Parts: sequence; C-alpha cells; structure tokens
Amino acid sequence: MNDAVKNVKLHLLVLALVVVSELIGIVTFKVGPGKLVLLPMLYAMFMGIFMGPKFLKVVKEKDMIQASTLVGLTLLLLMARYGTLVGPKFYEILKAGPALVLQEFGNIATLIIGIPLAMYLGLKREAVGAAHSIAREPNVALIGDIYGLDSAEGRGVMGVYICGTVFGTIFFGLMASFLAAFEIFHPYALAMASGVGSASMMTAAVGSLSASYPAMAEQIQAFGVASNTLSGIDGVYMSLILALPMSNKLYNYLYKLKYKTCSENV
Amino acid sequence: MTKQQTIFESFVVLLIVSAMTLVGNHAGFNNNIIDALPGMGILLLLCISGVATNMFLLKKIPSVLFVITYGVIITLPTFPYSAVTNAYVAKVHFLALTTPILAYAGVAIGKDLAAFKKSGWRIVVVSLFVMVSTYIGSAAIAQAVLKYMGDI
Repeated sequence: MNDAVKNVKLHLLVLALVVVSELIGIVTFKVGPGKLVLLPMLYAMFMGIFMGPKFLKVVKEKDMIQASTLVGLTLLLLMARYGTLVGPKFYEILKAGPALVLQEFGNIATLIIGIPLAMYLGLKREAVGAAHSIAREPNVALIGDIYGLDSAEGRGVMGVYICGTVFGTIFFGLMASFLAAFEIFHPYALAMASGVGSASMMTAAVGSLSASYPAMAEQIQAFGVASNTLSGIDGVYMSLILALPMSNKLYNYLYKLKYKTCSENV
Repeated sequence: MTKQQTIFESFVVLLIVSAMTLVGNHAGFNNNIIDALPGMGILLLLCISGVATNMFLLKKIPSVLFVITYGVIITLPTFPYSAVTNAYVAKVHFLALTTPILAYAGVAIGKDLAAFKKSGWRIVVVSLFVMVSTYIGSAAIAQAVLKYMGDI
C-alpha cells in the first residue's frame, strides 16, 4: 500500500486543520466598495503552509511530498459534487449555452495584456510561457511538451503556475467579490467567468459570489462549474491552436519594436 | 494521480477524505453527520466509478471527466430518483468538500516555496495581471452575450 495513504500523522493534521477552519467559518467584512469573503479553505491552506519546515516544522519533506500525491484524488469528491450541481441545472445551462461557450475566448485576454507587460518588465521568452494562458495544469503540460520545463518558456509557465497555486484562490475570491460590489457585471457573467480551468480558483470566486448573492447561489454555482468544466475540456486546444501562436506573434512583433532586431525564435 | 495507485488505495484515500468532510460539514455547516452520510456515500460511489472507468475502460481520458459526467447524469431532472439523490447530496455542503483538499494542498505547497522565491517578483506581477485579465475578459464577453440574448 502506498505510503501516503498510511501517513496517519498527515491525515490527523489535515483533520485538525479542517475542524479548526470550519469552526472559524465564513468571515465577511466590508473593504471599501467591496465585500471580502474569507472561506474556511483559505485558512486551511494557510495553516497548512505554516506547518512546513520553514515555519512551525510540524511536517517534513516526506509529508509534503505525500500530501501532494493525495491532492489529485481528494479533488475527485469535489468534482463528484460539482457534477451533481450541474445536473439539476443542466437544461438551464444549455439555454445559456452561447454565453458560456463564447466567454471561453475571454481567456485569451491574458496574452494581450500579459505579454506586453511581461516584456516591459524585461522578461524575454519567459513571457510566452507566463502569459499565454492562466497556466493551470494542462497549460503547464503543454508548454513542457513543446519547449521543455527547464526552458525559458518553462520557467515562465511554472512561475505563474506556482503564483496561481499560492495566491490564486484568495485572489479570485477577492476579485469576484470586488467586481460584484461594483455591479458593472451581472452575477451570472461573473459566475461564467469564474471557470478558468482551476477548481480552487473557480470555487473561491463562486463561493464569494454566492455569499454576495444568496438568492442566486444555485445558478451561480452551476454556471461556475459548467464554465470550469468547459475550460477543462477546451483549455488545451485553446492554448495550442489560438493562444500560443498568438503569443508568439505578439512576442516577435514587440521584440522587434523593443530591441530593434529580430528575436532569436522567429 | 499516479497509475500505480490501485482502486483500493483510491478508495481508502477517498474514504478518509469523506470522513473528514463529514466532520467539517458538521462543524461548519451544521449538517449532522448521520444526515449527510447517504449523500457522502453517493459522492464516494461516483468517484470510484469514475476511477474504475478510467482504469478498466478508457485509460486515455482522465477520471475527473467521468466523475463529473456521472454526477451530472444521476442528477438530471429526467434521471430516475434524481430528486431523492439530489436531496441527499445537498446535505454535503460543497464548501465543506473544499477544505480538506486545500489543507492537503497547503501542506504540499511548503515544498514549492523555494522555487517560488526564485522565480522572482516580475513573475508575481505578471501572474496577477494574467488572473485579472482572464477574469475580466471572460466576464465582459459573457455579459455582452447574455445582454444580447436578453437573458439578463
């Protein structure tokens, strides 16, 4: 039997983190025009990080590696619940189909803003890896396949992947509640935008939105999940067919503008 | 998930996490453990079916896709007993399921902190903009299409 499964200390620690986090519960407070929603999963994650060798030294290298092998499997239960959220709303989601499908193209906005910004900051080929997508697992795999993860592009995509893993959840939760407070976008539009290919980011955004609009909570959750499922399906194709070629074109164009010479990878 | 993990191991891990979820669900959302038990059992079954489908039938397609699809199918309004199934799984709050995952992930992130430090502040700035632009880009398109279709 796999050692990770038998790591009783790890499971008991996680159980303790879960209980403490749930007892603290959802905390909401007003920040400027927005409502900040802190979810138990955020406390659980931060407490988890603080158990590491850098801080409280409760867990060792071995425990951390084993914990990472379990994350994928634990996600399945959440995915099952997500499925059951989509089912009852399935026909309503079909009705909203065009909006759901077309908003997927919004994910390309990241390269239009991200590539120029990354290059302005002085990054070179790292920019393509970092900003062609939101850098979730399928995108990391894709960049790894094409350029290799120890290439400049690979460093870029890994950097954004790690940032997303560390800050993504809290950032998406905050962003959703702030945008909801400004009332520029309808909660449904914000819910559909929440699915970027990361279950935790989507959950954070959907969680804040449903706390802000309790009457629409079920619909918001269904849209978020449907959109995230779509991203999961089309994400890799979108990156390969659209985002990556566009990123490379934009990179080469900006490279000529900035350095007055052709880039090495044309 | 690695290929070496057997169905049994997956089952044990899922069982452990289910138990944690039930406790968290009780502590945070006042859903009694006994009340939430059938719903949790249904979710566990969905997961095992998904893992099994991936292992025995379609190895190329990830388990996650099956698990979600099965969940959708059994709760479709036209599926037999979907109302009952729905009532059971509703007792498991979806936020209660996220807490154990992020707790494991938090413990795991500890080992990536050094790599994260090395990647530098520029990547941090870029990734914040990546997240904002993806979100606002998608929301703007969704908003425009929903308006155009007259749904909002």
